[in-house]
Amino acid sequence: MDIVIVGSGKVGFSLAEQLAKEEHNVTVVDSDEEALHRAGDQLDVMTVRGNGVSAATLREAGVDRADLLVAATNADEVNMVCCLTAKDLGAKYTIARIRNPEYTASVAELRRNLKIDMAINPENSTAVEISRLLRFPSAANIETFCRGRVELMGFRLQEGDFLVGSPLYALPDKVKKLSLLFCAVERGGEVSIPNGSFVPKAEDKLYMVGRPDSLDQFFRQLGRYAPKVKQVFLVGGGKVSMYLATILDRMGIRLKIVERSEARCRLISERFPRVTVICGDGTDSELLESENLTASDAFVALTDRDEDNLIISLYAMQQGIKKVITKCNRQNYAGIVRSLGLDSVISPKFVTASNIVHVVRGLQNSQGSVMNSLHRIAGGGAEAMEFTVGPGTKHLGVPLKDLRLRPGVLLAVIVRKNDIIIPEGSSFLQKDDRVIIIARGGGVLDLNDIYGSEPAGGAGA
Amino acid sequence: MNIKLVLKLVGRVLLLEAAALSLPLLVALIYGETPYPFLLSIAIVAVVGLGLSTLPARQQFFTREGFVAVGLIWIFTGLVGALPFLFCGYFATPMDAIFESCSGFTTTGSTILTDIEALPKGILFWRAFTHWLGGMGVLVLTTAIVPKLGIRSHYLTQAETPGPVFSKLVPKQSQTSKILYAMYFALTALETLCLKIAGMPLYDAFIHAFSTAGTGGFSNRNASVGAYNSVPIDIIITVFMLLFSINFAVYFLILTQKWREALASDELRFFLAVVALATAVLTLSNLGVYSDLWESLRYTVFQVASIISTTGFGTTDFVLWPQFSQVIIILIMFCGASAGSTGGGMKCSRVLLLLRAIRREIHRITHPRSVEVVKLDGKLVSEATLHTLLVFLGAYVITVFTAALIISLDGESFAVSFSAALTCVSNVGPGLEAIGPSGNFAAFSGLSKGVMSLCMIAGRLEIFPILVLFSPSTWRRL
Repeated sequence: MDIVIVGSGKVGFSLAEQLAKEEHNVTVVDSDEEALHRAGDQLDVMTVRGNGVSAATLREAGVDRADLLVAATNADEVNMVCCLTAKDLGAKYTIARIRNPEYTASVAELRRNLKIDMAINPENSTAVEISRLLRFPSAANIETFCRGRVELMGFRLQEGDFLVGSPLYALPDKVKKLSLLFCAVERGGEVSIPNGSFVPKAEDKLYMVGRPDSLDQFFRQLGRYAPKVKQVFLVGGGKVSMYLATILDRMGIRLKIVERSEARCRLISERFPRVTVICGDGTDSELLESENLTASDAFVALTDRDEDNLIISLYAMQQGIKKVITKCNRQNYAGIVRSLGLDSVISPKFVTASNIVHVVRGLQNSQGSVMNSLHRIAGGGAEAMEFTVGPGTKHLGVPLKDLRLRPGVLLAVIVRKNDIIIPEGSSFLQKDDRVIIIARGGGVLDLNDIYGSEPAGGAGA
Repeated sequence: MNIKLVLKLVGRVLLLEAAALSLPLLVALIYGETPYPFLLSIAIVAVVGLGLSTLPARQQFFTREGFVAVGLIWIFTGLVGALPFLFCGYFATPMDAIFESCSGFTTTGSTILTDIEALPKGILFWRAFTHWLGGMGVLVLTTAIVPKLGIRSHYLTQAETPGPVFSKLVPKQSQTSKILYAMYFALTALETLCLKIAGMPLYDAFIHAFSTAGTGGFSNRNASVGAYNSVPIDIIITVFMLLFSINFAVYFLILTQKWREALASDELRFFLAVVALATAVLTLSNLGVYSDLWESLRYTVFQVASIISTTGFGTTDFVLWPQFSQVIIILIMFCGASAGSTGGGMKCSRVLLLLRAIRREIHRITHPRSVEVVKLDGKLVSEATLHTLLVFLGAYVITVFTAALIISLDGESFAVSFSAALTCVSNVGPGLEAIGPSGNFAAFSGLSKGVMSLCMIAGRLEIFPILVLFSPSTWRRL
């Protein structure tokens, strides 16, 4: 697809990187020469220098033939005008980054009037992501499918867990009865898809997918069931904190926010009367201690400096807080961070780029089987996708044992009307099923991509 | 320095070259000549290429690796291209064969041969075909053909595509390379057809089309294009020499029906203006040499196109022209063709930018507080680009003078030493006096030929990749 990205900042760059890797024709527009140079030098993209609201610049970037335009400059207004102009010039689909909380309330009208097909708000998406982690504190990560009927969770095994040391086929019956499947494992930075003979070790990060109540049950059996989070300690009062406070406040969770700027503190206090706002330096351990950090159930580090977030998260973890969530934009060092034990690291630019890549894939195969959602798990090492089986899907009605799937691909769950099926050899696909696919390394764009190259068994209807 | 990956890349390009060598092999077979020089060359190149391309290497590739790869690939290409010359027995020393091969790939067109017509047809075909391969670039060809190099191919093609700023035609590098080669191929085919219709034998038409396309200048006739003494052939070659020295991005704009943008190119206008002005002045200046105005125009316009496009074909010997005319020839030799074309020299866009920067500097002296930007095609040119441009000019001039210094050890006149250095760095072909259009480079010493070969490669790659290759800091670990 021909894609134009306006703005080569954090989100723009990582988006361009993703899309160029997926063989799209990407053109990056920015007025800053240095940012453009970085994109042009490191990625296989074309660069156009100029202002994204100027029609001449957009035309030079080929917007008239573009299938998608993403406006991701740091100014919401520029993004909106850019989308409007691009639509006029002939862009087929437009996405604008709109993140100012003042616009959030009226985003629906804005979208309609400015002909923006989709508005993304990285801070809000990040807040939603964090709130989900807080709702299920036992898991390090959590993704939902089929409107919450299926969940995917990741957790780290510890020495002494009953799973450690015995292969998966020998698990006790009470676990086998549960409606869940171990779908991916991350060991020492390597991601693989486990089979029955896989022997889990301590420090492995296991991902499982299944019914939410089964997952809960499993955590209870593991003795790892953490009670609901009631009190959250939050450092940093930026946009993400504001969105997060809105969500958590509605859920009735008590919040304490530490923020350095007094003006910002006043704003938060004005907006959220029930929240305790502390004006001070969140990286000062004495302040954290005097504010009784240890009494909270969860700790979220949301300052705008990655380094500060990592350090105070490590401190909070050392103080014995069960659930620590860290915002860290730099992905390069994700491996190191994980090895230190910080499992819940959230990167707004990563979240945003994933969301857009998902839309792009949706646009790409709008005729074949429809991809409903896409989540990148295990630090991007694998992807979990939800598809709806369409009439174009191959091998319908053929039992799975007669089919050969591509290596590194797992058919994890079939959702048929109200039933959640963990597939066995005799299971098969039929039209209108929803399926959840786990693929190592990505590359599955269509449901038919899961089949291996050799046709095994009779070709279905 | 990830030298293994660089060598692996060199190996891939060598494999491509082995494949390219099968074309002259075919020609040799058609004309019933001995195929052994080619068979032997193909075997050696293929074995070395295979050996290198299967090296295990980490996938780390940065700017430094890019520059070293480009420099090494061109040096290897020059050496490997010399193999058929070496095996055919018509070249006195290995250095002569290397000189001829470097001159071919860099599209210079200088030769050490005194009697070209004595050589077998297959060898002459390879000699001209190296022009065609080197013209658009062996790396551009590699990125067009090899689907996934697994590295940032941008660094490679950037170093090989001449000009102050590098821009892609379409977002993907491999796609850009394919489009470039498609246009290149189409123009070459068109010229071959025109020459055939104008009465040239088919074999000669291919040779001259390859030479024109790469703006090289190798001919299969001792008297170059002058041997045909035909006005239509002169006109066709003049037009195509000029066509191949225009930025290929202009053709892409025309193909995508952006006529206005194509014709608004500052560089195109400047190039055409220089050609027109040089032709007018030289035609008048040469009136004394030729019988009438038309004859003067006929020989002059061909020579202007031949020198400014850095091709180096001859229909007349400009060494016999007045001194004033010869200095103009040296000036347009220095100026060269357009950026993004197959021609060499400083490039018109650089000269144009330089003139604009000088004008701004003069303004600045009279109005010390004035702020003024330099533009090209209505677009702002960054100070960083201008800075690089000045450094490039400096490096270019220093390279020419250093080379002239070493060449002067042979004891030739200043005009010969200097014009030899300039013609090599600018990839033109002929020089002044003894190395003019009807002379050759055979008389130089082995050292001079080596320096000139390196100068040709340095000129083709726009100096810096070769300087980087020989800079100690490139090879230091930290």
